[in-house]
Amino acid sequence: MKYETVIGLEVHVELATKSKIFCSCSAHSYGADPNSHVCPACCGMPGMLPVVNKRVVDYGMKAGMMLNCHINRTTTFDKKSYYYPDLPAAYQTTQWFAPVAVNGLVEIETSKGKKSVRIKQIHMEEDAGKLVHDIREDTTHVDFNRTSVPLIEIVSQPDLSSAEEVEAYLDRLKNLLRFAKVAECEMAHGTMRCDVNLSVRPEGSDKLGVRTEMKNMNSIEAIKRAIEYETARHIDALEHNTEVLVQETRRWDDIKGKSFAMRSKETAGDYRYFPDPNVMPVVIDDEWFDAIQSSLPEFPEVKRERYINEIGLSEYDADQLVKSIAICECFEDAYAVCGSAKDSANWLLSECMNILNARQMTYDMLDIDGKALGKLIKLVSDGKVGRANGKKILADMFDNRDIEPESYAKENGYIVSNDTSLIEKVAKEAIASNPRAVNDFKSGKEKAIMALFGACMKQLKGNCDPNTLKEILVDQINKI
Amino acid sequence: MKKYTVKTETLAECKFVADDMILTKDIPTTAGSKMLDGYVSLFEADVLTRLFDKGYGLAGKTNVGEFNFDLVGETSYNGAMVEDGIIKNATASAVKDGEADFAITLDVNGTNRRATAQSGLVSVKPTYGTVSRFGTIPVACSGETVSIVATNADKCKEVLSVIAGHDDKDGTSLPQKEIDKIKEEKELKKVVVLKSMLKGINSEVSEKIANVCEILRKNGVEVTEIDDSVIALSNKAWNVLMSAELCNNVSRYDGVKYGYRAQNFVGIDGLYTNSRTEAFGLLIKSAILFGSETLSTSNYMKVYDKCLRMRRVIVEEFAKMFASYDAVLMPTCSTFAYTQESVQKDMYMPFTENFYTAPASITGLPAVVVDGVQFVGNAFSENSLLSLAKVIEKEGK
Amino acid sequence: MDKETLRRLELLNQLRLTEEEKASFMKFFDERYEDACSLDSIDTSAVERMVHVMPVMTVVREDVVKQNFAREDLQKSAPETDEGYWCVPRVVE
Repeated sequence: MKYETVIGLEVHVELATKSKIFCSCSAHSYGADPNSHVCPACCGMPGMLPVVNKRVVDYGMKAGMMLNCHINRTTTFDKKSYYYPDLPAAYQTTQWFAPVAVNGLVEIETSKGKKSVRIKQIHMEEDAGKLVHDIREDTTHVDFNRTSVPLIEIVSQPDLSSAEEVEAYLDRLKNLLRFAKVAECEMAHGTMRCDVNLSVRPEGSDKLGVRTEMKNMNSIEAIKRAIEYETARHIDALEHNTEVLVQETRRWDDIKGKSFAMRSKETAGDYRYFPDPNVMPVVIDDEWFDAIQSSLPEFPEVKRERYINEIGLSEYDADQLVKSIAICECFEDAYAVCGSAKDSANWLLSECMNILNARQMTYDMLDIDGKALGKLIKLVSDGKVGRANGKKILADMFDNRDIEPESYAKENGYIVSNDTSLIEKVAKEAIASNPRAVNDFKSGKEKAIMALFGACMKQLKGNCDPNTLKEILVDQINKI
Repeated sequence: MKKYTVKTETLAECKFVADDMILTKDIPTTAGSKMLDGYVSLFEADVLTRLFDKGYGLAGKTNVGEFNFDLVGETSYNGAMVEDGIIKNATASAVKDGEADFAITLDVNGTNRRATAQSGLVSVKPTYGTVSRFGTIPVACSGETVSIVATNADKCKEVLSVIAGHDDKDGTSLPQKEIDKIKEEKELKKVVVLKSMLKGINSEVSEKIANVCEILRKNGVEVTEIDDSVIALSNKAWNVLMSAELCNNVSRYDGVKYGYRAQNFVGIDGLYTNSRTEAFGLLIKSAILFGSETLSTSNYMKVYDKCLRMRRVIVEEFAKMFASYDAVLMPTCSTFAYTQESVQKDMYMPFTENFYTAPASITGLPAVVVDGVQFVGNAFSENSLLSLAKVIEKEGK
Repeated sequence: MDKETLRRLELLNQLRLTEEEKASFMKFFDERYEDACSLDSIDTSAVERMVHVMPVMTVVREDVVKQNFAREDLQKSAPETDEGYWCVPRVVE
């Protein structure tokens, strides 16, 4: 029998706010000392009261709009109770009854074509702390730095059917949320986390099979492996009665390449949600709604179309650029200054990419001034700075955002010389010390001039217009 | 047999005590619970800061029943105050005995109102949201209010003017311009007595009500009696809401971060269960379990949500009252003395005696207790209620 | 309230009652529960639930960081800490 996999995702995304959702502690503690970003509220002490961080609502709304959701104009917070050491107050404040956004739609594209994934809801909530198990054998160490860092949970409908689609969906979420600048979405940093709800059913059946929820995948690769493993396990169970499938939560062990049932308590799932009396309903009036809506970025596909149709980029270049908002912004700034879309795209997609790759950085980590890049591109295309020197300046711009390319080029002797007498002098010297190359050239081997060209460029430190140099060299050889 | 958990020195001209639900820096706040024995907060309640800024001095922290949830303090881990077989409230006693000019308390379930009535003092539970709850031990957040107990109505008014005010640290704190409505005092000329709220009172309380009605009439206040009212259902709903909120709020006490930790346990659940079982008293345990069950999947809509709707029904009923009357007169308690014997016989009396206090708790309306009786008024009418109380304190007793 | 429900409630709330306490609690529970059920006599089907008694909406703060508390102070009353962490018995998963 043929089977199909039915997958729904719960994606937790840490919002890129400065402070936590209900208290004023810093929300950025990645790599910080344990419990250095905590206050009485986030370590469960009595007496502090939650006051909602406005930016969390801004970002929650923005995320909802990016995913084509309906925004609930009155959104409320609720308490969810359970005991676990990473939850200091033994309740999490989340949204159960009226989440900020509902009924969205996300378009994805895979090798099988385009597909829409329905979003059930997006709710805002506080993160839990972190547990460390490897300091002492008998003890779990508790760190509340991450407690109350704002999250959104994006719950999809079970509309996905393969690891490939899941990857495309997660990439799409990442891209959209980064375009909106509401989140970093870096799985390696834990700022994007994903639980996978999966079931398997005979192809064409409209009845859902037994569903399991998998947690603890820390990378897209791990998610893909987990989906493949779990799908096979489900099919095996159905096909060969290897085991009886039960609805449960499973932990993915990426080293063993297997999922394991998590010890479930008799009381699991009894969260006793109720509206938080300490947090007033948040009413999103038209003014607020409009402000967020007008702050939305141009969507990636709109940008792509514009790049192709209005400024004449190739489809390939446009596709590459819209993978990252950081690249797009840099491109647009550079283009505005230098006036050449093609040059701007080339510099970004080849030269900047090379530097990012060499430094093991992702697209989104690009942090150079696009306007300065534009000036640099113009210096090179105007022949004021040689291309090789241009690349050197670019590399320096990655280290120092304040570099102004023209004055930097001057200070470092990267300006192309227009002094033809100097070029003639250097050309003569090169010709004199390379008689063989001269002879080869004269006897018809045109490439031989490159040796002379290289020697001159080296002597001139690259500060010479290549065409001028070539002309002068040919001219001087012919004079011999 | 403890009145104070901590006694402090103050040179201030005007001294007050704070009950042990109000967090103080440097000295312990225990909420009358073994769970918080010796617990010292890192910050102080907003009300205290306001009082200190105006030169009032703290004379001590007074003992409370566990989480101020009981009748008058009988469940305190620090020991209850009993005199001649009668349970005394520590906070009210400190004022009554002249050791403080007034007291600041957190009114969770009417404890301080009952104590005020039984000590012949005056108290005001202000409109919900007018006094910051920042720095109070949270129990039943949707209705609990920082309150004042004093020997007379003028003192209550004076202190209220100091502690009422918007606080950014409390998300339920009202905007200042709303709170300023308290200052718009008006003469209360029509008082209504709800017959259904007189249920269960003994003859002494009954006489008190009659006596106060007499004084009111003598002073030109029209007193009307009306029959039935859904207001008398308040405590049935409030018991659910306050227990569920208590359950959630005290779940933070688990022996991990601070406070009591059991000596013997196996595993994390053992740590939690043993610590909580050893540290909480039976009244709190019972309220936790009851509250928890009202929030369970099978009961949420039927019980909890129902009570949230009842809250609106009651609020609207009061609004109807205030369209015709200025204040509602009701008893504060069924008797002016709780004997140790009666409490031992029925430890769950806080869930039935709050019949008289729950209407103001569940609605957040202001309540003034004077001469043993209680006036519940419209939102922001506390100063008007206190002026009425002044009339009664002059002629009563 | 039956024994089975009570056992689940105890587990859920990390509490244990003695046999005597159980008997007393069960009576209490049934009375309170009955009280709550008696409210069914009031038709509230058209009534909106009321969580907050005051009609205040949208209390938010600006996204500003304030770090006012030191770890040593926060852990002063902790039953057990180690290297800046709070400690609990190993949570096995």
